[in-house]
Amino acid sequence: MTARIDRIALLAVPGLAYLAVIYALPLLMLLAKSVQTAEGFSLAEYRAFFADEYNLRVLWRTLRVAALTTLLALAIAYPTAFVMSRAKGPWLTVFLVAMVLPMSLGVVVKAFAWSILFRANGFINTSLQWIGLTEKPVRMLFTETALVIGAANVFLPFMVLPIYAVVRQLDRGLPEAAVSLGAGPFFRFFNVTLPLTLPGVVAGSAFTFSMAISMYVIPSLIVGERQQTLSMLIARSFLYLRNEPLGSTISAVLLAIAIFVVVFSSWLARRLGART
Amino acid sequence: MTQIQKAGLTRRSLLRTSALAAVGTLAAPSILRAQSSEIVIGCAGSHTAWMEQIVVPHMKEAIGADILFEGTKSSVNLEKMASNKDAPYLSVVQMDDPVMIQAVEADLLTPITPDAVPNMTDLRADAVHMDGMWCNYVQPWAGVAYNTDYAEGVPSWEALWAPENAGQVIIPSLQNTEGMWTMFVAAMLGSGKPFSEAQYEVDAAFAKLEELKPNLLSVYTTMSQAFNLLEQGEISMLAGNFSSYTLPRKAEGVPVDLAAPKEGIFAMPSGICLVKGGPNPELAQAYVNEMLGETMQAAIADFASSVPANTTVKAGAVIPDGVPIYSPDWAFVAENRRAWIERFDKLMAL
Repeated sequence: MTARIDRIALLAVPGLAYLAVIYALPLLMLLAKSVQTAEGFSLAEYRAFFADEYNLRVLWRTLRVAALTTLLALAIAYPTAFVMSRAKGPWLTVFLVAMVLPMSLGVVVKAFAWSILFRANGFINTSLQWIGLTEKPVRMLFTETALVIGAANVFLPFMVLPIYAVVRQLDRGLPEAAVSLGAGPFFRFFNVTLPLTLPGVVAGSAFTFSMAISMYVIPSLIVGERQQTLSMLIARSFLYLRNEPLGSTISAVLLAIAIFVVVFSSWLARRLGART
Repeated sequence: MTQIQKAGLTRRSLLRTSALAAVGTLAAPSILRAQSSEIVIGCAGSHTAWMEQIVVPHMKEAIGADILFEGTKSSVNLEKMASNKDAPYLSVVQMDDPVMIQAVEADLLTPITPDAVPNMTDLRADAVHMDGMWCNYVQPWAGVAYNTDYAEGVPSWEALWAPENAGQVIIPSLQNTEGMWTMFVAAMLGSGKPFSEAQYEVDAAFAKLEELKPNLLSVYTTMSQAFNLLEQGEISMLAGNFSSYTLPRKAEGVPVDLAAPKEGIFAMPSGICLVKGGPNPELAQAYVNEMLGETMQAAIADFASSVPANTTVKAGAVIPDGVPIYSPDWAFVAENRRAWIERFDKLMAL
């Protein structure tokens, strides 16, 4: 039995070797560059990065935008997942296609489309003025609000699909049992439905946050150079400043945040799974 | 396993075949490249229109070369050359003078010589740099692009700072070569000195640039997006834009024009160079020779409203009368540019 399991495990070798060569090795080389100086090992680049107030502002903006993007995507995705879970036949197909099809569209195209919508004479401003909510165009392009809306749109499927997968398996008898025991809608939602769907929420949030924190094209097109994010700093360091140690250091900081999010969300999902 | 053996495929022969296939696959690009008439050219993203319409078909006919080009910023081209120094894949690069200086310092270029590129003898003397390390092929001029629906012209660079233009201006980042023009103008306006002296007044330039912030909608690194906003009327002025981009759009009927403000305009330093150790060196030299020859010079200069570098060619842009044209100390720019980019980004950040 043991020998058989080992042989099956060998099937993972090509995949692991591929990841080691294409992903792990360059990553290690990148990390090495962040601690390598002419004198040897040094954390000077990290000290310099965290000592610069501008870098801290960029780091804070990156975290804030990723968090707001995740929250907005969650607010839209959670009810959407419930509607999808109740849809049947052609309607379910329509919902799934609506979720999956935009993923085949390039991020550049989507970000550019949003930059058109956010213009002074774009659809949103024209609609606001037509409804009478505003008298003159509201400045939306090159604002953080625009970035959060645009990013939430791009990453929405990655939030909806994990929640949908959990909601679909939800035992509908449980909320009904709560009703039969006299539970009101709020009590039912916060004490029955929400805890049961939290693993999907955690998984979707981890996906969305990880992608939002490292996005490059969307902020480049929607907010431009005056509101840089960590990814934009990395590109600037490598391509324009030609400062590899700085670029490697920022990459390592971004990687550390992403790893923390993945590990923490896995732990949280396991814990919530155990409780429910 | 039994079925595999029946088919005559043993573990050893499978491994041998796989190894040969892997070696063949890895070697294929080198084998194909060695026999190819294909050369890869690095150029600016804004060159795309004339590279596609003029250069690619001409080179196929004149020298039998299949041209692949990668349009991006000069500094990105430099990074590509530096990263692939041991195995270059670019044969020729068209980029700006300050970046050429950095490429020479990094030993990434091979000189252009009259023996291999005879047409370089027809160039203006000031178009050949550092003993032929690179040449200027055409020179667009740069001023202020504006939307003709919202402005009648831009008589002075001071218009960028005018309070009535709040939120109506986009300038290039210093990551882009054309970003230098706004900085030099800020130095002239801030110090009150003539250009020859003002270009070294860096603190005065940054102080004046800071005053521009209320008027800025954005700072761009991707020019096409910023230009699109100008065309759509989202902004009224785009600083530092050049004749090879604005004037062809104007000719197509787009409501834009390029102003030559009274304080002066700038000569864009468009250079061409041979990559050291680049593939197909003879074809690369033939490409450069064609780019400096009469046919290409006239065609590109006319298409891109630029001044040709070949003295035998009478075509291209008409330089505005009565306005000084400046060309800065590029060595000083190359030496300080990284520090300026960092300072500029922090200054302009929201």
